[in-house]
Amino acid sequence: MFLAWKEIKYSKLRFSLIIGVVALVAWLVFLLSGLAFGLASVNRLAIDQFDANAIALTDESDLSLTQSKLLIKDAKTVTGDKTAYLGQSSGVVTSDNLDGKVSVSILGMEHDSFIMPKVVEGKAFTDEGEVLADISMQKKGTEIGDELNISSSDKKLKVVGFVENGKYGTLPVLYMSIPDWQELKFGQSDPTDNGLVSAVIIRDTDALNQTPAKAVKISNMADFIEKIPGYSAQNLTFSIMIGFLFIITAFVIGIFIYVLTMQKTATFGVLKAQGMTTGFLSKMVISQTFILAALGVLIGLGLTFVTAALLPDAAPFMLNDLNLVIYGVVLVAVAVIGALFSVASIAKIDPLKAIGGE
Amino acid sequence: MTLLSLDNVSKTYGSGHTEVKALKNMDFSVEPGEFVAVIGPSGSGKSTFLSIAGGLLTPSTGTVKINNQSFAGLKKKELAKLRFKELGFILQSSNLVPFLTVKDQLILVDKVQKKNLSKKKKEDLLESLDIIKLKDKYPKDLSGGERQRVAIARALYNEPSVILADEPTASLDTNRAYEVVKILAKETKDNQTATIMVTHDTRLLDHCDKVYEMNDGVLKQIR
Repeated sequence: MFLAWKEIKYSKLRFSLIIGVVALVAWLVFLLSGLAFGLASVNRLAIDQFDANAIALTDESDLSLTQSKLLIKDAKTVTGDKTAYLGQSSGVVTSDNLDGKVSVSILGMEHDSFIMPKVVEGKAFTDEGEVLADISMQKKGTEIGDELNISSSDKKLKVVGFVENGKYGTLPVLYMSIPDWQELKFGQSDPTDNGLVSAVIIRDTDALNQTPAKAVKISNMADFIEKIPGYSAQNLTFSIMIGFLFIITAFVIGIFIYVLTMQKTATFGVLKAQGMTTGFLSKMVISQTFILAALGVLIGLGLTFVTAALLPDAAPFMLNDLNLVIYGVVLVAVAVIGALFSVASIAKIDPLKAIGGE
Repeated sequence: MTLLSLDNVSKTYGSGHTEVKALKNMDFSVEPGEFVAVIGPSGSGKSTFLSIAGGLLTPSTGTVKINNQSFAGLKKKELAKLRFKELGFILQSSNLVPFLTVKDQLILVDKVQKKNLSKKKKEDLLESLDIIKLKDKYPKDLSGGERQRVAIARALYNEPSVILADEPTASLDTNRAYEVVKILAKETKDNQTATIMVTHDTRLLDHCDKVYEMNDGVLKQIR
């Protein structure tokens, strides 16, 4: 640490530049991870709120909530500690107070079921014709008491309250009763056994261990979320970008440290002649890399928080503390791995060159 | 008591018709407080001699002992440890770490041997070499003579048995060169170390106790 730190203090400009590069890369990694996490979240937040273990869909729907049409008769064969019917569709909303048209995701549920979201303003719906909306709709001009028009239907729905984190498939969610949802999706409601819902949500750790009607397939919530349209493709895209940034960091830092080590060959030769071991000198280079990378990551983190505060609300940007810590640690780790190349070159420095030479 | 001894040491580079004998059956030893000069033309084997004496090069035959411990059979790491403990090197130039101040050059030694010598000891050493006022300066801000005095301080700091000086005055003018050699002679006596100075500058020999001449790998005492 002693040598490492003294050299950083001596060549401030040189090392500031390296720290700057690490900070920029860290900043980019953190921003991408924030966008990745934010985008992933707006795909699934409404589902996460259910705090459920499994979902029952039709076997033929291939885990697609939109494609699943489950007869209530079949849905009744699904068991669990807690179960709830869910209807899902999408639509476009207009109203007097709204700025233009707003695309929404529509979730139908029974008002006394366990999947009802927590209301932060107003009250929960109890009757047909009442809806809860995601709080983001409020920012777009919707108020409690507003009548919403849904595209391709003459049905009017009254907003009675707002919920937080009501996002599914990146769209704000309108929560309503099952009959209302059936009317929007199929043109008429049908409360009998021949009526339809999209899915049954199950809260039961042993949910998979049952044999429901033949048309029904029960899957883990995690598997279902992976199949949300676009979800895994988005995540993969971000993961690849972040992964490559890690590799690039290792190379950039590795090359910087290698060049700096080469410049110190003469000094290292003399120190080796004086009896300092390759291990001691390697430790210096590694601890120096650690200091540079850690400072860079901290600065990158600071820039990320500033950016997060300045980003417009529209950007699906969400910082996750655990992700930040993991990515920060990985960045420092790959920087140190990059510096290991230089250890090999330190081992090769011959102390003999210090004698009788330049 | 002999601090450094070379018994029947030879060094051969290459083999067959490219064979070069850099050192031929050399016997050499130094006692505490002795300041020895080795002179000779370039290519005579002076550097090979110093490298072998410093444990940086393994002789083809013969044994090297420092403070009665043989270099033979030691692992690289053990050899480095022995060099660090028993030897002080003073080289032509650039033997100071460029990014450490004069004071830090000494602190580095503390860090390596994981034992801190007192601040007073450091200051006394710098005082005796008349470089105490330079303690916060970097090597680039020092003159050639000052740099060599710092190098001497660095070499003396861990109280080595033997100091090996490789052309320590090469980059200095005559007055500075005399001054550095005088300091080396004085410190050798004061600390009872043994100092071996390789040089081609024959003007500097007045302060030396013994003078050897190296010629084609053969060492001969001339004074």
